[in-house]
Amino acid sequence: MTREEVFEHVKGILVETLSVDEDKVTMDARFQEDLETDSLDLVELVMTMEEKFGIKITDEEAADIKTVGDAVDFVMTRVDA
Amino acid sequence: MRGGVKGKPYVSPHWVTDAWSDITDDRVVRVVVDAAGGDNAPEEIVKGALDAVGPQLQVVFIGDEPRIRALLPPGVQDVSVVHAPDVIGYDEEPATAARAKTGSSIVVGLKMVHAGEADAFVSAGNTGAVVAASVLYVRRIPGVKRPAICTIMPAMPAPVAFLDVGANAECRAEFLRQFAIMGQAFAREVMSIPEPTIGLLSIGEEPTKGTPEVIEAHQLIAADERVSHFYGNIEGRDIMNRLVDVIVTDGFTGNVGLKTIEGSARAIMGALKAVIMDSVKTKMGGLLLQKDLQILRDALNPEEFGGALLLGMNAPVIIAHGNSRARGIAQAVRMGRRGVVTDLLPTIARELGTQTASV
Repeated sequence: MTREEVFEHVKGILVETLSVDEDKVTMDARFQEDLETDSLDLVELVMTMEEKFGIKITDEEAADIKTVGDAVDFVMTRVDA
Repeated sequence: MRGGVKGKPYVSPHWVTDAWSDITDDRVVRVVVDAAGGDNAPEEIVKGALDAVGPQLQVVFIGDEPRIRALLPPGVQDVSVVHAPDVIGYDEEPATAARAKTGSSIVVGLKMVHAGEADAFVSAGNTGAVVAASVLYVRRIPGVKRPAICTIMPAMPAPVAFLDVGANAECRAEFLRQFAIMGQAFAREVMSIPEPTIGLLSIGEEPTKGTPEVIEAHQLIAADERVSHFYGNIEGRDIMNRLVDVIVTDGFTGNVGLKTIEGSARAIMGALKAVIMDSVKTKMGGLLLQKDLQILRDALNPEEFGGALLLGMNAPVIIAHGNSRARGIAQAVRMGRRGVVTDLLPTIARELGTQTASV
């Protein structure tokens, strides 16, 4: 899976599951400040990502995911591994 | 007729709730009841849910199986028990606990609903955890930006729907617009008010009064044709006077408002009792008023409505008061069935499901 493909998946989760405006979702977008997601949204995002990509994300790892790019990079390391 | 009996200052809350017990359809509904949550668990929870059980209203208890089974009468019908070893406490961080404690009664029960093994969920446990676990396991109806806790509040002359009373401390205008649409569906389907009026709680009647979010929400709701009867802004003093049928606000304001009113009602009833018990003369007066005062106490009793419904989820989730006794739980279970058999969820899905950000 390419970085671009992972980005499209993450974007899809944000738009469909969390009802985030599509045009706001960029690699640099920060979840809390730019996408206005709250702590529950982030847990929902993490769980949906686990389901969709078949990976495990610990609470500590999730705490380091601040931007859409962070999420994409994290998935890339796990999917390639 | 809307709002009860003409000329009477109040009506019985049974005006709303009688329809919940009156099962006229053939549908068999399974309600999962969290027997581990609440101050009076599991005894009052089990007792209350058993009062509501019937062939068309089956109950699945979740919690400490041996303790629950010990409370069930021999040969009881339409009841089953599923063991859950864990409990989410009141002091736990909701989203973290909901994710981590997969063996808790709340998570096990909500997963059953998600899997289609049950239709609705009732809990008197940690409200935040029920909200978080509902979002994570039952999931929102696509298009619903935030779920809202909608309660039925005693008011004069008849109860009102009040949302959000605690799911979202901060709300954008768009959330409030969605709450108006969901609250309208709730009033129609759960409270049997065919043409409910909707009010937006603010600090003045004029559309320009309030926080920027409230001012914007007023414009959005007023322009939204899905909201049939928007009254406009209402103030805190209008809540108990039932100026409207549905009151929309953010979760912080709603929670403060709800608890202020509950506390005030309790204080006033306590003061009234103290006045009546003061002397022989006042006791005689109290005796004359006894029957009417009982009706008033009944009208103000939050137990009658069982709990609040978490609107916006794919299944009815009922959040009962933490201190619920048997009556409150029985009513919460009946509300759960009502949420399943009426047009509540299809209406929300229809009206919000295809909504885009630009609408």
